[in-house]
Amino acid sequence: MEWGDTLVLRLENVGLRYGDGPEILRDVSFAVRTGDFYFLTGPSGAGKSSLLKLLFLALRPTRGTLRIFGEDVGSLSHSNLPTIRRRIGVVFQEFRLLDHLSTYDNVALPLRVAGKSESSYRRDVMDLLDWVGLAEKSADLPPVLSGGEKQRAAIARAVIAKPQLLLADEPTGNVDPVLAKRLLHLFLELNRLGTTMLIATHDKGLVRQAERPVLHLEQGALNLQ
Amino acid sequence: MKPGAIIPSTAASLTSLTVTMAVMCYLACLAIGALILVDRAVTSWTSGLSREMTIQVRMMRGTDIVQEVEKARAITAAFPGVVSADILDESEGAKLLEPWLGTRSLEGLPVPRLIRVVSDTANPPNIPALEEALLQVKGARLDTHQKWEAELTRMARALSAVSYAILLLICVSAIAIVIFATRAVLQANRHIVDLLHLVGARDSYIARQIDGRFLRTGLLAGFIGVGLGLFTFLLLGLLGGGSESGVAAASRGLLFSTPSIAIWSYGLLFAVPGAATLICLITARVTLMRRLGVAT
Ligand SMILES: Nc1ncnc2c1ncn2[C@@H]1O[C@H](COP(=O)(O)OP(=O)(O)OP(=O)(O)O)[C@@H](O)[C@H]1O
Ligand SMILES: [Mg+2]
Repeated sequence: MEWGDTLVLRLENVGLRYGDGPEILRDVSFAVRTGDFYFLTGPSGAGKSSLLKLLFLALRPTRGTLRIFGEDVGSLSHSNLPTIRRRIGVVFQEFRLLDHLSTYDNVALPLRVAGKSESSYRRDVMDLLDWVGLAEKSADLPPVLSGGEKQRAAIARAVIAKPQLLLADEPTGNVDPVLAKRLLHLFLELNRLGTTMLIATHDKGLVRQAERPVLHLEQGALNLQ
Repeated sequence: MKPGAIIPSTAASLTSLTVTMAVMCYLACLAIGALILVDRAVTSWTSGLSREMTIQVRMMRGTDIVQEVEKARAITAAFPGVVSADILDESEGAKLLEPWLGTRSLEGLPVPRLIRVVSDTANPPNIPALEEALLQVKGARLDTHQKWEAELTRMARALSAVSYAILLLICVSAIAIVIFATRAVLQANRHIVDLLHLVGARDSYIARQIDGRFLRTGLLAGFIGVGLGLFTFLLLGLLGGGSESGVAAASRGLLFSTPSIAIWSYGLLFAVPGAATLICLITARVTLMRRLGVAT
């Protein structure tokens, strides 16, 4: 296995536990190359969201080594994190939209915190909102959006900055099959343009349609299916 | 479409911080007012006092007081460094004693006679030598006011030290309150701060979203404090009526003195909002950067 830019993620014997609780992840080892597209499946409570949290640097492994874009996460300082996080887009399972900001402002947030001016991203954000069917809702606040609309806003926010790696946690959990298919096409299209994908899902239909490799997590162990 | 504030100003409002800071600024203004007044009073007392001396000639058995007084005057007037030496007549001397003895007639009482001596400040007389020379006069004693001056200066220094200590305490408590308020704002917006971190915001960016509010709070509180302070001095000045001395006159002096002095007073008082703003801004910023740096 070669090193360098082609390796986006590399986990070696990664273990994770919350506090004194049981080990949620045990000896997880896998590597993801640039342009890969993986699904992550497993029963509820298996630790899919926890694994993703490790990958977007919200948690540190309790043991083992995790490398992201070639950087050893264990030796990263707090001030290095923003640079890496800007290369990763995340769709959170619970969306985590900011209720006091409009849909437009929520989607534009990653660009805004990166210091871009409103005039420079306005067009892109409106186009993306249009594409996910939220153009009419751009001025609405998240609390008045439906579950599926929130999900689409969350996806739009994750992809707006054209991340190199997209981590999505149940991105089709709240939408009907037609919209799910549409979103899958968005992911496949982004992947075709070079974005590496890791999508945690329960949606067997989605996995079947996409015909992409599946990483299965069960009882703390991760296996390629 | 103007982007909305990333940290909403409604979560954890800074109203109580504004009120507390305004009170702090008000107290700081009072302390500064006291400092200026004490400083001004000391200058005017000491400059008057050190120019003047008094010679007391007490009635002694077997001497002619009038002769002795005249002798003392002549010796002093001729002394180098003395501008003038005038004998106060008895009624003038009695007037000086009024505060202690009242307006009763002093007829027949052995009231000492006084000579007012004005010295040349540029070339002051040699006091020990003058005292030596006055030994020729029976019952004469030179009073240089130095004891008074020392006493006044000591008291003024104590008052100034207390005022400085109060200012220092005000600063320390202001910093402490701002630290608590900053933590409260962070706590109330924890979920927003966490998300901002996850979408790649730097600590300095997040801090900038918050510390502007502390800047405005400091500025507003500072001006409220100074406003109240000026109002207080005005009120003190007006309530005291037309009296020439005391707190009332001193307060008027703070507000309406000659331009060169007034510039000082107003300058020091209006430094309060500046200091309040700096304390708010810097404390909030340092607290934010330290707290944000602890997060993952
Ligand atoms: N912050 C936390 N503190 C303690 N335990 C946690 C925490 N987050 C998750 N867990 C535990 O870790 C285990 C895995 O949770 P996780 O959310 O990763 O599962 P999941 O695979 O995403 O489940 P689902 O498919 O339902 O989303 C669960 O048993 C959960 O109780
Ligand atoms: Mg989950």
